[in-house]
Amino acid sequence: MKNKAKQKQIAIKILATIFSFLIFGLLWEMLVRFSDVGRVMPGPLETLQSFFEHFTEKYSAYTLPEHVWRSLRRVLTGYFFAAIAAIALGILMASYKTIDAIVSPLFNMVRPIPPVAWIPLAILWFGINDGSKYFLIFWASFLSMVQNVYAGTKSADPKLIGAAKMLGANDGHIFLTIVLPSAVPYIFSGLQLGINSAWAMAIGSEMIRSTDGVGWLIIRGMDNNNLLQELVGILAVGIVGFALASVLRGVEAKLCRWNKRGT
Amino acid sequence: MSKENVKVQVRHLTKKFGDLLVLNDVSFEVKKGQFLCVVGPTGCGKTTFLNCITKLYEPTSGEILLDGEPVDLRKHNVSYIFQEYSAMSWLTVEQNIAFGLNIKHFPKEEVKARVDEVIAMVGLEKFRNYYPNQLSASMLQRVVIARAFATKPDLLLMDEPYGQLDIELRFKLEDELIGLWEQLGTTIIFITHNIEEAVYISEDILVLTNKPTTIKTMINNSLPRPRNVTSRSFIDLREQVTELIKWW
Repeated sequence: MKNKAKQKQIAIKILATIFSFLIFGLLWEMLVRFSDVGRVMPGPLETLQSFFEHFTEKYSAYTLPEHVWRSLRRVLTGYFFAAIAAIALGILMASYKTIDAIVSPLFNMVRPIPPVAWIPLAILWFGINDGSKYFLIFWASFLSMVQNVYAGTKSADPKLIGAAKMLGANDGHIFLTIVLPSAVPYIFSGLQLGINSAWAMAIGSEMIRSTDGVGWLIIRGMDNNNLLQELVGILAVGIVGFALASVLRGVEAKLCRWNKRGT
Repeated sequence: MSKENVKVQVRHLTKKFGDLLVLNDVSFEVKKGQFLCVVGPTGCGKTTFLNCITKLYEPTSGEILLDGEPVDLRKHNVSYIFQEYSAMSWLTVEQNIAFGLNIKHFPKEEVKARVDEVIAMVGLEKFRNYYPNQLSASMLQRVVIARAFATKPDLLLMDEPYGQLDIELRFKLEDELIGLWEQLGTTIIFITHNIEEAVYISEDILVLTNKPTTIKTMINNSLPRPRNVTSRSFIDLREQVTELIKWW
């Protein structure tokens, strides 16, 4: 009975998703057909056709999947190290008042600066090639994640800490069995924010100077007045971003089953 | 009371918060296996007293001895059940109950045996793999009680554990608690503002005064069990205690 209801819910969700894409495609098609935009902008079907054709055909030196992979490689590398650094710093700041007192003012000053503002300095420090891109991706996702890890580590319920102490837990036990599990949902929210920032920064940094990647694809499309190439690049960004967010949501759902209401 | 028979000795316990005197020279003893209820006017410092026992607060003066020694939570097996639910939401019922045993590094077989024992006592066998957000209020409090009893504590402190439950659930859990206490012989200090509850479950009732708190009296509750809340003797004792804590 419960399974049937669940299956029905999933079916409704899939149908609603298909419906929303169809509506979006229809609006796009109408815009192209019935307005002047259509003179320069390709429609959804033409874009999709080009998208699939470039699985084998090349844009410059690479096919579309190869460009996506090059961007993705930068994103995942920068993001991986950012996640480690953000989790470590967020936990340290939340756990030690001295570290918090020293790091917080600096962090709070740096945090509102948009990561793109660091591009000139990143190029100066790490060169015009991949080094600066890795740094910018790292930095953008790091800034998005630290605050969540910090808040999550601080969120541990004092009542649960008290209960654990009464049951004989020492500081190490309390950290591992109460503080860390309490922080997990916050950390996952931070990881979600971080992956979005990382992906956005990857595209942004590839637009500055690059010979590959989806950002390059979009900016080169613009330079050559090739709107179809731009749209294919944008579509690729959307699909990969959606896939990355879905993977993270899946991992979170698996690890934080206890955080969902209902049986 | 012979020394061997004494579980908790509270000697001249005084607790101040700044200039506010909360506990004023409180002294009494709790014998091994005793079920003591502590009652007093609202805000008289009942929770402060429990928090002094567990070292969550340092007493301003005086001392609390457990088995003749100052309280040391690493050494003494003390469990505390809070007024609010304190089940870990990321652990299943079974894992919550095993929490204290795992912290104390009990062997796996022993953990399993004890969890099975107390999970049956509180009637949660069917829910052992459920998470707290899948349970009702009474089940949650049963998980916390089972977790406390699983460690077979020498001393169980309970701070208005049923304060947030409706009357039906409260009666059910009170009966369960009495059953567990009779089976395991744990010394229990149970704080409540509900006089009917105190008369229903206790062996002795410690009545505290308004702030600054001292002991008004200790009443021995020898009503036979199971107790009938509508019997004359029950009502008389309830009214006697009510008169004692009246501050109006």
